[in-house]
Amino acid sequence: MINPSERLSAPLPRRRFVEVLLSGGFLATAAAFFYPVLRYLIPPKASDLGADSVVAGRVGELKPNSGKIFRFGNRPGLLIRTADGQYRAMSATCTHLSCTVQYRDDLHEVWCACHNGMYDLNGRNISGPPPRPLESYEVQVRGEEIFVRRRREA
Amino acid sequence: MAILPSSTRSRAGVRWLLLAAFLGLSASFGYGQAKNSCLDCHSTLPDPFGVTQDKFSQDIHAQKGLTCVNCHGGDATSDDADQAMSRKAGWKGKIDRKQIPALCGSCHSDPAYIRGFNPSLRTDQLSQYLTSVHGKRLAGGDTKVAVCTDCHSVHDLRAPSDPRSTVNPVNVATTCSRCHADAAYMSSYKIPTNQFAEYSKSVHHDALAVRGDLSAPTCTTCHGNHGATPPGVASVANVCSTCHVFQSQLFDTSPHKEAFASAGLPGCVTCHSNHGILHPTDEFIGTGDKAVCTQCHTQGDAGYAAAGKIREQLAQLAVAIGNADQILGTAERSGMEVSQPKLDLTQARDALTKARVTIHSFNVDRVGADVKLGVAAAAKDYTAGQQALAERNYRRIGLAISLIAIALALIGLRLYIRQIES
Repeated sequence: MINPSERLSAPLPRRRFVEVLLSGGFLATAAAFFYPVLRYLIPPKASDLGADSVVAGRVGELKPNSGKIFRFGNRPGLLIRTADGQYRAMSATCTHLSCTVQYRDDLHEVWCACHNGMYDLNGRNISGPPPRPLESYEVQVRGEEIFVRRRREA
Repeated sequence: MAILPSSTRSRAGVRWLLLAAFLGLSASFGYGQAKNSCLDCHSTLPDPFGVTQDKFSQDIHAQKGLTCVNCHGGDATSDDADQAMSRKAGWKGKIDRKQIPALCGSCHSDPAYIRGFNPSLRTDQLSQYLTSVHGKRLAGGDTKVAVCTDCHSVHDLRAPSDPRSTVNPVNVATTCSRCHADAAYMSSYKIPTNQFAEYSKSVHHDALAVRGDLSAPTCTTCHGNHGATPPGVASVANVCSTCHVFQSQLFDTSPHKEAFASAGLPGCVTCHSNHGILHPTDEFIGTGDKAVCTQCHTQGDAGYAAAGKIREQLAQLAVAIGNADQILGTAERSGMEVSQPKLDLTQARDALTKARVTIHSFNVDRVGADVKLGVAAAAKDYTAGQQALAERNYRRIGLAISLIAIALALIGLRLYIRQIES
């Protein structure tokens, strides 16, 4: 039990307490301001999102007559290098039941493993259950990077 | 001319001008190229004989330059009805139903003639028709069966690609149903008349009529059009497999192939029915109320156990996907960036779609292999969702701590100011 008169007669620890509270509070506030700034400067693992144009690959990464899946926003895309070296890109989501399609180097066509759906290299549905073509994208090679973007209505 | 008053001269001039204009116009509109006196009378006659210029101009044959006489004979250049419709001029009158296929075939089975209009048009319609149930019955003297004009219409016959054509894919089922859904008309044939009603409930009708997929099957896709015949038990699986390739391949390697054949059961139809093919759900398989397996399998046999196991596997994957989807949804709504795991979840969904096809092998291990891949992918995405939620909680706690810190600083400041004031 502390005597009230004693507490009044001891102003030094109280001042000390206020100073500690104040400086501690300011330090913690400063930390709360700077921590998010620091976290912002360190990039997260996720790559660019919902963009109209993405880097689907690098020149030389794909051999002729092969394909790869790339991420286009929150959907998969398919980048193809045809047997004669041209690049083609299209949505990789099958228009039948939304499976992910792949390039078949033996058929030279795009194929869906779920129900044997087939698309040509322009994304047109040519065989099996797909009811609609795949959305085809525009491919631009800029320097070492292959950019893919949605086609704009003319 | 000099003796005529000037007003008469100018009137004569106007007459000549009008005549010249009329001749010019009529030439440019095609009048007089081939006179067709038939329509002069028939456009005013009541129905079985009435054909208006408006109706006939819709007909693909009229558009290609053919006229009444190409089918009905006669002399359309004569305005005299007796001369125009004289047997001497080759007039045939109303074409007897029995003669219609042969009449159409006289052009449509002639590749050299048809090539002049459309080089890719088939010319086997008549020979196909003669093999159809319709064709065989007609040959046997039954005139109630369909002939060319019943399906294709007459005098306003449009190309099948025309959406208004009675044989456009979207309209085929309705055209067939005009006879096949009419119980009174079909009573003498002793075949069901519920096909159209059943088909209208089916996934195929939904794809064609509702979703507008013109490649989805209608009556003629399975039965043939000109050679229309029921596929029969032996070949129905071949019909389905023209589109459902994987399911058919798997079925052919399955124990059901032989079992069904020896029991005289048709392939696909035994489980999926024929006209009323519903969109299959996972409940089709297994041992539940809606399961088709229990039609043959009973508790205690190996098939019953396998059906139950396959159903369990599908449910396991569906639940795993549902859980991952839910946790990722919660994370997304909390403002977390989970687009990558959401994208990766498509792998698990692919696996479920594949497993639903693999069911047709009726092999627990093969379905299990697909399910395992999917469950692994879903588990990874679930973990990503958990991590995202943990990160969200970390941020919330961080925010709370920083708010407490700010509050402490404010309290300290207030006390400090009071001290200075005192």
